[in-house]
Amino acid sequence: MMANYKSVFDIIGPIMIGPSSSHTAGAVAIGRAANKVFNGLPQKIVVHYYESFAQTHKGHGTDYAIISGILGFAPDDSRVPNAIKIAESKGIKIKFIEETVDSPINHPNTAIIELENTDKQIKLAGCSIGGGTIEIREIQLDGFSIKPKGPLPIVLVKGQSSDNEIVEKSLKKLAQIYQTNKYGTSDQQQIFEYDLSRRLRSNDIAELSDKLPELIYL
Amino acid sequence: MYTNIKELVDDAKKKQQSISELMIQQEINENQATREEVWQAMEQNLAVMENAAKKGVTGDGVFSKTGLTGGEAVLLQKYRQEKTTLSGDTMIAAVQNAIATNEVNAAMGVICATPTAGSSGTLPGILFTITKRLQLNHEQQVRFLFTAGAFGMVIANNAGIAGATGGCQAEVGSASAMGAAAAVEAAGGSPEQSAEALAMAISNLLGLVCDPVAGLVELPCVKRNAIGAGNGLIAADMALAGLTNKIPADEVIQAMDRVGKGLPRALRETGLGGVAGTPTGLKLKMKIFGQTVADN
Repeated sequence: MMANYKSVFDIIGPIMIGPSSSHTAGAVAIGRAANKVFNGLPQKIVVHYYESFAQTHKGHGTDYAIISGILGFAPDDSRVPNAIKIAESKGIKIKFIEETVDSPINHPNTAIIELENTDKQIKLAGCSIGGGTIEIREIQLDGFSIKPKGPLPIVLVKGQSSDNEIVEKSLKKLAQIYQTNKYGTSDQQQIFEYDLSRRLRSNDIAELSDKLPELIYL
Repeated sequence: MYTNIKELVDDAKKKQQSISELMIQQEINENQATREEVWQAMEQNLAVMENAAKKGVTGDGVFSKTGLTGGEAVLLQKYRQEKTTLSGDTMIAAVQNAIATNEVNAAMGVICATPTAGSSGTLPGILFTITKRLQLNHEQQVRFLFTAGAFGMVIANNAGIAGATGGCQAEVGSASAMGAAAAVEAAGGSPEQSAEALAMAISNLLGLVCDPVAGLVELPCVKRNAIGAGNGLIAADMALAGLTNKIPADEVIQAMDRVGKGLPRALRETGLGGVAGTPTGLKLKMKIFGQTVADN
Protein backbone atom coordinates (compact mmCIF):
# COMPACT_ATOMS: atom_id res chain seq x y z
CA MET A 1 0.00 0.00 0.00
CA MET A 2 1.47 3.34 -1.03
CA ALA A 3 0.38 5.27 2.01
CA ASN A 4 0.41 9.05 1.93
CA TYR A 5 0.15 9.30 5.71
CA LYS A 6 3.26 7.63 7.05
CA SER A 7 3.45 9.00 10.57
CA VAL A 8 1.08 9.46 13.49
CA PHE A 9 2.13 13.12 13.37
CA ASP A 10 0.60 13.51 9.92
CA ILE A 11 -2.73 12.85 11.66
CA ILE A 12 -2.15 14.39 15.11
CA GLY A 13 -0.46 17.51 13.80
CA PRO A 14 0.96 19.56 12.28
CA ILE A 15 1.04 22.34 14.84
CA MET A 16 0.13 25.28 12.64
CA ILE A 17 -1.37 28.73 12.35
CA GLY A 18 -5.03 28.49 11.27
CA PRO A 19 -7.33 28.47 9.42
CA SER A 20 -6.88 25.57 6.94
CA SER A 21 -4.50 22.63 6.87
CA SER A 22 -5.14 21.93 3.19
CA HIS A 23 -5.08 25.53 2.05
CA THR A 24 -2.45 26.93 4.43
CA ALA A 25 -0.12 24.22 5.78
CA GLY A 26 -0.42 22.15 2.59
CA ALA A 27 0.17 25.24 0.46
CA VAL A 28 3.37 26.02 2.38
CA ALA A 29 4.50 22.43 1.72
CA ILE A 30 3.86 22.71 -2.05
CA GLY A 31 5.78 26.01 -2.07
CA ARG A 32 8.66 24.43 -0.16
CA ALA A 33 8.86 21.58 -2.69
CA ALA A 34 9.13 24.14 -5.52
CA ASN A 35 11.84 25.97 -3.53
CA LYS A 36 13.87 22.75 -3.21
CA VAL A 37 13.56 21.90 -6.91
CA PHE A 38 14.46 25.45 -8.00
CA ASN A 39 17.31 25.72 -5.49
CA GLY A 40 17.52 29.45 -4.84
CA LEU A 41 15.29 32.49 -5.11
CA PRO A 42 13.42 33.13 -8.37
CA GLN A 43 12.85 36.54 -9.97
CA LYS A 44 9.38 35.59 -11.13
CA ILE A 45 6.66 33.44 -9.56
CA VAL A 46 3.45 32.36 -11.30
CA VAL A 47 0.92 30.29 -9.33
CA HIS A 48 -2.00 28.61 -11.10
CA TYR A 49 -4.90 27.54 -8.87
CA TYR A 50 -7.49 24.93 -9.80
CA GLU A 51 -10.93 23.89 -8.47
CA SER A 52 -11.25 24.20 -4.66
CA PHE A 53 -7.95 26.11 -4.51
CA ALA A 54 -9.19 28.55 -7.17
CA GLN A 55 -12.51 29.02 -5.36
CA THR A 56 -11.21 29.42 -1.82
CA HIS A 57 -7.56 30.55 -1.86
CA LYS A 58 -8.57 34.04 -0.74
CA GLY A 59 -9.18 34.26 2.95
CA HIS A 60 -7.41 30.97 3.64
CA GLY A 61 -4.07 32.64 3.25
CA THR A 62 -3.19 30.22 0.45
CA ASP A 63 -1.40 33.02 -1.43
CA TYR A 64 1.02 34.01 1.31
CA ALA A 65 1.35 30.36 2.38
CA ILE A 66 2.53 29.23 -1.03
CA ILE A 67 4.90 32.20 -1.38
CA SER A 68 6.35 31.59 2.09
CA GLY A 69 7.09 28.01 1.04
CA ILE A 70 8.79 29.25 -2.13
CA LEU A 71 10.93 31.50 0.09
CA GLY A 72 11.77 28.42 2.17
CA PHE A 73 9.89 29.29 5.37
CA ALA A 74 8.56 26.58 7.71
CA PRO A 75 4.75 26.32 8.19
CA ASP A 76 4.89 27.75 11.72
CA ASP A 77 7.31 30.59 10.87
CA SER A 78 5.88 33.89 12.10
CA ARG A 79 6.88 35.51 8.78
CA VAL A 80 4.39 33.35 6.85
CA PRO A 81 1.54 35.94 6.78
CA ASN A 82 3.94 38.62 5.44
CA ALA A 83 5.57 36.41 2.81
CA ILE A 84 4.16 38.29 -0.21
CA LYS A 85 5.47 41.63 1.04
CA ILE A 86 8.83 40.04 1.89
CA ALA A 87 9.09 38.53 -1.61
CA GLU A 88 8.13 41.78 -3.30
CA SER A 89 10.69 43.70 -1.27
CA LYS A 90 13.30 41.34 -2.74
CA GLY A 91 12.12 42.42 -6.20
CA ILE A 92 10.34 39.15 -6.99
CA LYS A 93 7.38 39.48 -9.40
CA ILE A 94 4.36 37.45 -8.34
CA LYS A 95 1.24 36.46 -10.28
CA PHE A 96 -1.72 34.33 -9.14
CA ILE A 97 -4.05 32.86 -11.76
CA GLU A 98 -7.44 31.30 -10.92
CA GLU A 99 -7.91 28.64 -13.58
CA THR A 100 -11.48 27.76 -14.54
CA VAL A 101 -10.68 24.37 -16.06
CA ASP A 102 -10.33 21.09 -14.15
CA SER A 103 -7.05 20.27 -12.47
CA PRO A 104 -4.58 18.77 -14.96
CA ILE A 105 -3.36 16.43 -12.20
CA ASN A 106 -6.87 15.42 -11.22
CA HIS A 107 -7.20 16.75 -7.66
CA PRO A 108 -9.50 19.53 -6.36
CA ASN A 109 -6.73 21.19 -4.29
CA THR A 110 -4.20 21.78 -7.06
CA ALA A 111 -1.53 24.44 -7.42
CA ILE A 112 0.95 24.60 -10.28
CA ILE A 113 3.96 26.78 -9.54
CA GLU A 114 6.28 28.24 -12.17
CA LEU A 115 9.56 29.75 -10.99
CA GLU A 116 12.15 31.44 -13.14
CA ASN A 117 15.17 33.69 -13.22
CA THR A 118 17.53 34.61 -16.05
CA ASP A 119 19.19 31.23 -16.33
CA LYS A 120 16.65 28.61 -15.26
CA GLN A 121 12.99 27.81 -14.92
CA ILE A 122 11.02 25.03 -13.28
CA LYS A 123 7.38 24.02 -13.01
CA LEU A 124 5.89 21.93 -10.21
CA ALA A 125 2.34 20.55 -9.92
CA GLY A 126 1.28 19.69 -6.40
CA CYS A 127 -1.95 18.89 -4.63
CA SER A 128 -2.96 19.24 -1.02
CA ILE A 129 -4.65 16.00 0.01
CA GLY A 130 -5.74 16.92 3.56
CA GLY A 131 -4.35 17.66 6.99
CA GLY A 132 -1.31 19.45 5.55
CA THR A 133 -0.07 16.42 3.58
CA ILE A 134 0.71 16.89 -0.12
CA GLU A 135 1.48 14.98 -3.29
CA ILE A 136 3.76 16.13 -6.10
CA ARG A 137 2.51 14.70 -9.39
CA GLU A 138 4.57 16.53 -11.99
CA ILE A 139 7.88 18.43 -12.16
CA GLN A 140 9.46 20.13 -15.14
CA LEU A 141 13.18 20.52 -14.63
CA ASP A 142 16.09 20.89 -17.08
CA GLY A 143 13.71 20.23 -19.98
CA PHE A 144 12.49 16.92 -18.54
CA SER A 145 8.91 16.24 -17.55
CA ILE A 146 9.13 14.14 -14.38
CA LYS A 147 6.02 12.26 -13.30
CA PRO A 148 6.25 10.79 -9.80
CA LYS A 149 3.40 8.67 -8.40
CA GLY A 150 2.60 11.51 -6.01
CA PRO A 151 3.17 10.50 -2.38
CA LEU A 152 6.30 11.84 -0.71
CA PRO A 153 9.15 11.33 -0.16
CA ILE A 154 10.56 11.71 -3.66
CA VAL A 155 14.30 11.86 -4.32
CA LEU A 156 15.64 13.42 -7.51
CA VAL A 157 19.29 13.14 -8.51
CA LYS A 158 20.97 14.90 -11.41
CA GLY A 159 23.98 13.05 -12.65
CA GLN A 160 25.46 10.12 -14.58
CA SER A 161 24.57 6.43 -14.64
CA SER A 162 27.31 5.71 -12.10
CA ASP A 163 25.62 8.09 -9.66
CA ASN A 164 22.40 6.18 -10.12
CA GLU A 165 24.00 3.03 -8.73
CA ILE A 166 25.48 4.82 -5.73
CA VAL A 167 22.17 6.43 -4.83
CA GLU A 168 20.13 3.32 -5.34
CA LYS A 169 22.39 1.32 -3.06
CA SER A 170 22.28 3.97 -0.32
CA LEU A 171 18.52 4.45 -0.60
CA LYS A 172 17.79 0.72 -0.45
CA LYS A 173 19.42 0.61 2.98
CA LEU A 174 17.07 3.30 4.24
CA ALA A 175 13.73 2.54 2.59
CA GLN A 176 11.82 0.55 0.01
CA ILE A 177 11.94 2.09 -3.47
CA TYR A 178 8.43 2.00 -4.95
CA GLN A 179 9.35 3.42 -8.31
CA THR A 180 12.49 4.45 -10.17
CA ASN A 181 12.41 6.57 -13.32
CA LYS A 182 15.28 7.67 -15.52
CA TYR A 183 15.03 10.79 -17.63
CA GLY A 184 17.49 11.52 -20.42
CA THR A 185 20.07 9.30 -22.09
CA SER A 186 23.44 8.30 -20.72
CA ASP A 187 25.45 10.55 -23.09
CA GLN A 188 24.00 13.67 -21.47
CA GLN A 189 22.93 14.95 -18.07
CA GLN A 190 20.34 12.59 -16.60
CA ILE A 191 17.77 12.86 -13.84
CA PHE A 192 16.87 9.87 -11.67
CA GLU A 193 13.65 9.82 -9.70
CA TYR A 194 12.99 7.54 -6.72
CA ASP A 195 9.67 7.28 -4.88
CA LEU A 196 10.32 6.01 -1.35
CA SER A 197 8.27 4.08 1.20
CA ARG A 198 9.42 6.07 4.20
CA ARG A 199 10.82 9.46 5.12
CA LEU A 200 14.52 9.83 5.69
CA ARG A 201 16.07 11.36 8.79
CA SER A 202 17.86 14.65 8.26
CA ASN A 203 21.29 13.13 8.99
CA ASP A 204 20.70 10.48 6.29
CA ILE A 205 19.69 13.17 3.80
CA ALA A 206 22.79 15.20 4.69
CA GLU A 207 24.99 12.14 4.17
CA LEU A 208 23.47 11.47 0.74
CA SER A 209 23.82 15.14 -0.24
CA ASP A 210 27.52 15.00 0.65
CA LYS A 211 27.98 12.25 -1.93
CA LEU A 212 25.67 13.89 -4.46
CA PRO A 213 25.41 17.67 -4.18
CA GLU A 214 22.75 17.68 -6.92
CA LEU A 215 20.29 15.63 -4.83
CA ILE A 216 16.79 16.98 -4.22
CA TYR A 217 14.75 15.47 -1.37
CA LEU A 218 11.03 16.22 -1.37
CA MET B 1 2.20 -0.22 8.84
CA TYR B 2 -1.42 -1.14 9.59
CA THR B 3 -3.44 -1.02 6.39
CA ASN B 4 -6.84 -1.59 7.97
CA ILE B 5 -8.69 -1.59 11.30
CA LYS B 6 -8.98 -5.38 11.45
CA GLU B 7 -5.17 -5.76 11.34
CA LEU B 8 -4.79 -3.18 14.08
CA VAL B 9 -7.35 -4.82 16.38
CA ASP B 10 -6.08 -8.35 15.69
CA ASP B 11 -2.51 -7.33 16.43
CA ALA B 12 -3.52 -5.67 19.69
CA LYS B 13 -5.32 -8.87 20.74
CA LYS B 14 -2.46 -11.12 19.67
CA LYS B 15 0.20 -9.08 21.48
CA GLN B 16 -2.05 -8.22 24.42
CA GLN B 17 -1.17 -4.56 23.97
CA SER B 18 -3.13 -1.36 23.70
CA ILE B 19 -3.63 0.39 20.35
CA SER B 20 -1.67 3.39 21.68
CA GLU B 21 1.31 1.13 22.39
CA LEU B 22 1.17 -0.40 18.90
CA MET B 23 1.10 3.11 17.41
CA ILE B 24 4.14 4.20 19.42
CA GLN B 25 6.04 1.10 18.28
CA GLN B 26 5.06 1.60 14.65
CA GLU B 27 6.25 5.20 14.81
CA ILE B 28 9.60 4.10 16.24
CA ASN B 29 10.03 1.39 13.58
CA GLU B 30 8.72 3.21 10.51
CA ASN B 31 10.35 6.55 11.11
CA GLN B 32 13.51 5.46 12.89
CA ALA B 33 12.80 7.60 15.92
CA THR B 34 13.46 6.93 19.58
CA ARG B 35 10.65 6.37 22.04
CA GLU B 36 11.54 9.64 23.79
CA GLU B 37 11.40 11.64 20.54
CA VAL B 38 8.02 10.21 19.67
CA TRP B 39 6.58 10.71 23.15
CA GLN B 40 7.84 14.28 23.44
CA ALA B 41 6.47 15.25 20.04
CA MET B 42 3.03 14.05 21.11
CA GLU B 43 3.33 15.90 24.44
CA GLN B 44 3.97 19.06 22.44
CA ASN B 45 0.81 18.48 20.41
CA LEU B 46 -1.16 18.03 23.63
CA ALA B 47 0.23 21.30 25.03
CA VAL B 48 -0.82 23.18 21.88
CA MET B 49 -4.32 21.70 22.15
CA GLU B 50 -4.62 22.68 25.81
CA ASN B 51 -3.50 26.23 25.07
CA ALA B 52 -5.94 26.68 22.19
CA ALA B 53 -8.93 25.43 24.22
CA LYS B 54 -7.99 27.83 27.05
CA LYS B 55 -7.29 30.77 24.76
CA GLY B 56 -10.75 30.51 23.21
CA VAL B 57 -12.42 31.17 26.58
CA THR B 58 -9.98 33.75 27.96
CA GLY B 59 -11.47 37.20 28.46
CA ASP B 60 -14.03 37.89 25.74
CA GLY B 61 -12.65 35.06 23.61
CA VAL B 62 -11.04 35.29 20.18
CA PHE B 63 -12.49 36.73 16.97
CA SER B 64 -11.74 36.06 13.31
CA LYS B 65 -10.75 38.87 10.94
CA THR B 66 -14.01 38.56 9.01
CA GLY B 67 -16.16 38.77 12.15
CA LEU B 68 -18.05 35.62 11.10
CA THR B 69 -16.96 33.67 14.16
CA GLY B 70 -15.67 34.30 17.66
CA GLY B 71 -16.64 34.85 21.26
CA GLU B 72 -19.15 32.02 21.38
CA ALA B 73 -17.11 29.56 23.44
CA VAL B 74 -17.21 32.24 26.14
CA LEU B 75 -21.01 32.33 25.90
CA LEU B 76 -21.13 28.58 26.46
CA GLN B 77 -18.85 28.83 29.46
CA LYS B 78 -21.08 31.49 30.98
CA TYR B 79 -24.21 29.47 30.22
CA ARG B 80 -22.72 26.44 31.98
CA GLN B 81 -21.98 28.53 35.04
CA GLU B 82 -25.36 30.21 35.25
CA LYS B 83 -27.96 27.77 33.93
CA THR B 84 -28.97 24.14 34.03
CA THR B 85 -27.92 22.74 30.66
CA LEU B 86 -30.23 20.41 28.78
CA SER B 87 -27.54 17.93 27.73
CA GLY B 88 -25.65 17.91 31.01
CA ASP B 89 -22.43 19.69 31.81
CA THR B 90 -20.14 17.00 30.35
CA MET B 91 -21.62 17.36 26.90
CA ILE B 92 -21.61 21.15 26.90
CA ALA B 93 -18.07 21.24 28.26
CA ALA B 94 -17.08 19.10 25.26
CA VAL B 95 -18.88 21.49 22.93
CA GLN B 96 -17.18 24.47 24.60
CA ASN B 97 -13.70 22.99 24.15
CA ALA B 98 -14.44 22.10 20.54
CA ILE B 99 -15.76 25.54 19.67
CA ALA B 100 -13.03 27.38 21.59
CA THR B 101 -10.37 25.52 19.60
CA ASN B 102 -11.96 26.16 16.20
CA GLU B 103 -12.54 29.82 17.03
CA VAL B 104 -8.80 30.09 17.70
CA ASN B 105 -8.17 28.39 14.34
CA ALA B 106 -10.47 30.80 12.51
CA ALA B 107 -8.74 33.72 14.25
CA MET B 108 -5.41 32.48 12.84
CA GLY B 109 -4.14 31.29 16.18
CA VAL B 110 -1.91 28.28 16.77
CA ILE B 111 -3.68 24.90 16.73
CA CYS B 112 -2.84 21.24 16.28
CA ALA B 113 -4.55 19.83 13.17
CA THR B 114 -6.40 16.64 14.22
CA PRO B 115 -6.56 15.42 11.51
CA THR B 116 -7.21 18.79 9.84
CA ALA B 117 -7.37 22.42 10.96
CA GLY B 118 -11.07 22.57 10.11
CA SER B 119 -11.72 19.65 12.45
CA SER B 120 -9.16 20.63 15.09
CA GLY B 121 -11.78 21.15 17.82
CA THR B 122 -13.38 17.71 17.80
CA LEU B 123 -10.58 15.77 19.50
CA PRO B 124 -9.89 18.34 22.25
CA GLY B 125 -13.64 18.50 22.83
CA ILE B 126 -13.66 14.78 23.62
CA LEU B 127 -10.26 14.54 25.31
CA PHE B 128 -10.48 17.38 27.83
CA THR B 129 -13.99 16.37 28.82
CA ILE B 130 -13.13 12.75 29.54
CA THR B 131 -9.90 13.86 31.22
CA LYS B 132 -12.00 15.57 33.83
CA ARG B 133 -14.67 12.89 33.99
CA LEU B 134 -12.36 9.88 34.18
CA GLN B 135 -9.54 11.71 36.02
CA LEU B 136 -7.05 10.82 33.28
CA ASN B 137 -3.40 11.50 34.09
CA HIS B 138 -0.92 13.11 31.69
CA GLU B 139 0.30 9.77 30.29
CA GLN B 140 -3.25 8.63 29.55
CA GLN B 141 -3.94 11.89 27.72
CA VAL B 142 -0.85 11.47 25.53
CA ARG B 143 -1.86 7.85 24.88
CA PHE B 144 -5.33 9.02 23.85
CA LEU B 145 -3.68 10.99 21.04
CA PHE B 146 -1.63 7.99 19.88
CA THR B 147 -4.76 5.82 19.78
CA ALA B 148 -6.67 8.50 17.88
CA GLY B 149 -3.74 8.80 15.48
CA ALA B 150 -3.58 5.06 14.85
CA PHE B 151 -7.23 4.93 13.81
CA GLY B 152 -6.91 8.22 11.92
CA MET B 153 -4.00 6.91 9.84
CA VAL B 154 -6.09 3.99 8.63
CA ILE B 155 -8.96 6.32 7.72
CA ALA B 156 -6.63 8.80 5.97
CA ASN B 157 -4.82 6.15 3.92
CA ASN B 158 -8.01 4.34 2.91
CA ALA B 159 -10.51 7.16 2.45
CA GLY B 160 -8.88 10.57 2.90
CA ILE B 161 -9.28 13.49 5.27
CA ALA B 162 -9.83 16.51 3.02
CA GLY B 163 -13.12 18.36 2.67
CA ALA B 164 -12.28 19.05 -0.96
CA THR B 165 -12.21 15.35 -1.77
CA GLY B 166 -14.53 13.80 0.83
CA GLY B 167 -16.75 16.50 2.31
CA CYS B 168 -16.92 17.31 6.02
CA GLN B 169 -17.50 13.63 6.86
CA ALA B 170 -13.80 13.19 5.97
CA GLU B 171 -12.77 15.93 8.40
CA VAL B 172 -15.14 16.21 11.37
CA GLY B 173 -16.40 12.66 10.68
CA SER B 174 -12.86 11.26 10.83
CA ALA B 175 -12.00 13.32 13.91
CA SER B 176 -15.17 12.18 15.66
CA ALA B 177 -14.39 8.52 14.91
CA MET B 178 -10.76 8.87 16.04
CA GLY B 179 -11.90 10.50 19.28
CA ALA B 180 -14.58 7.86 19.88
CA ALA B 181 -12.08 5.01 19.44
CA ALA B 182 -9.51 6.69 21.69
CA ALA B 183 -12.11 7.49 24.36
CA VAL B 184 -13.02 3.79 24.52
CA GLU B 185 -9.41 2.85 25.24
CA ALA B 186 -9.08 5.62 27.84
CA ALA B 187 -12.20 4.30 29.59
CA GLY B 188 -10.78 0.78 29.73
CA GLY B 189 -12.65 -0.68 26.77
CA SER B 190 -11.24 -3.30 24.39
CA PRO B 191 -9.67 -2.73 20.94
CA GLU B 192 -12.80 -4.31 19.37
CA GLN B 193 -14.96 -1.80 21.22
CA SER B 194 -12.74 1.00 19.90
CA ALA B 195 -13.35 -0.27 16.36
CA GLU B 196 -17.10 -0.45 17.00
CA ALA B 197 -17.09 3.13 18.33
CA LEU B 198 -15.25 4.27 15.21
CA ALA B 199 -17.72 2.46 12.96
CA MET B 200 -20.73 3.97 14.74
CA ALA B 201 -19.24 7.48 14.79
CA ILE B 202 -18.51 7.50 11.06
CA SER B 203 -21.84 5.87 10.19
CA ASN B 204 -23.64 8.65 12.07
CA LEU B 205 -21.93 11.40 10.09
CA LEU B 206 -21.86 9.70 6.70
CA GLY B 207 -22.64 12.18 3.94
CA LEU B 208 -21.80 15.31 5.92
CA VAL B 209 -21.04 17.98 3.32
CA CYS B 210 -18.27 20.61 3.22
CA ASP B 211 -19.98 23.94 2.54
CA PRO B 212 -17.94 26.79 4.01
CA VAL B 213 -19.48 30.26 3.66
CA ALA B 214 -17.22 32.41 1.45
CA GLY B 215 -14.89 29.40 1.34
CA LEU B 216 -13.66 30.17 4.86
CA VAL B 217 -13.17 27.66 7.67
CA GLU B 218 -15.70 29.46 9.89
CA LEU B 219 -19.37 28.87 9.09
CA PRO B 220 -20.56 26.16 9.60
CA CYS B 221 -17.17 24.59 10.44
CA VAL B 222 -16.76 25.85 14.00
CA LYS B 223 -20.09 24.44 15.18
CA ARG B 224 -19.65 21.23 13.17
CA ASN B 225 -16.92 20.44 15.68
CA ALA B 226 -19.57 20.52 18.41
CA ILE B 227 -21.37 17.64 16.71
CA GLY B 228 -18.05 15.90 16.10
CA ALA B 229 -17.27 15.93 19.82
CA GLY B 230 -20.81 15.06 20.93
CA ASN B 231 -21.15 12.27 18.39
CA GLY B 232 -17.76 10.86 19.41
CA LEU B 233 -18.73 10.70 23.08
CA ILE B 234 -22.07 9.09 22.25
CA ALA B 235 -20.45 6.50 19.97
CA ALA B 236 -17.85 5.67 22.65
CA ASP B 237 -20.57 5.23 25.29
CA MET B 238 -22.58 2.98 22.96
CA ALA B 239 -19.52 0.80 22.29
CA LEU B 240 -18.62 0.61 26.00
CA ALA B 241 -22.21 -0.45 26.72
CA GLY B 242 -21.70 -3.35 24.32
CA LEU B 243 -23.58 -2.02 21.30
CA THR B 244 -22.17 -3.08 17.95
CA ASN B 245 -22.40 -1.51 14.51
CA LYS B 246 -22.97 -4.78 12.58
CA ILE B 247 -21.22 -3.23 9.54
CA PRO B 248 -17.47 -3.63 10.22
CA ALA B 249 -15.30 -0.52 10.66
CA ASP B 250 -13.26 -1.16 7.51
CA GLU B 251 -16.40 -1.37 5.38
CA VAL B 252 -17.72 1.84 6.92
CA ILE B 253 -14.44 3.59 6.02
CA GLN B 254 -14.83 2.31 2.45
CA ALA B 255 -18.40 3.56 2.39
CA MET B 256 -17.22 7.00 3.53
CA ASP B 257 -14.70 7.06 0.69
CA ARG B 258 -17.37 6.17 -1.86
CA VAL B 259 -19.88 8.65 -0.47
CA GLY B 260 -17.20 11.37 -0.61
CA LYS B 261 -16.41 10.63 -4.23
CA GLY B 262 -20.12 10.77 -5.00
CA LEU B 263 -20.67 14.21 -3.48
CA PRO B 264 -21.18 16.95 -6.06
CA ARG B 265 -18.36 19.44 -6.35
CA ALA B 266 -20.57 22.20 -4.92
CA LEU B 267 -20.52 20.31 -1.62
CA ARG B 268 -16.77 19.68 -1.47
CA GLU B 269 -15.12 22.82 -0.16
CA THR B 270 -15.89 25.10 -3.07
CA GLY B 271 -18.02 27.50 -1.04
CA LEU B 272 -20.86 27.12 -3.56
CA GLY B 273 -23.48 24.70 -2.16
CA GLY B 274 -25.09 23.97 1.20
CA VAL B 275 -25.20 26.86 3.66
CA ALA B 276 -22.56 28.69 1.56
CA GLY B 277 -25.10 28.93 -1.24
CA THR B 278 -27.92 30.39 0.87
CA PRO B 279 -28.93 34.03 0.24
CA THR B 280 -27.26 35.09 3.51
CA GLY B 281 -24.22 32.94 2.80
CA LEU B 282 -23.78 34.62 -0.58
CA LYS B 283 -24.34 38.06 0.94
CA LEU B 284 -21.62 37.44 3.50
CA LYS B 285 -19.28 36.33 0.73
CA MET B 286 -19.92 39.59 -1.16
CA LYS B 287 -19.39 41.60 2.00
CA ILE B 288 -16.04 39.94 2.69
CA PHE B 289 -14.63 39.77 -0.82
CA GLY B 290 -16.42 42.57 -2.60
CA GLN B 291 -17.81 42.32 -6.14
CA THR B 292 -15.67 39.50 -7.41
CA VAL B 293 -13.63 36.92 -5.63
CA ALA B 294 -11.30 36.73 -8.60
CA ASP B 295 -9.50 40.06 -8.43
CA ASN B 296 -6.12 39.92 -6.79
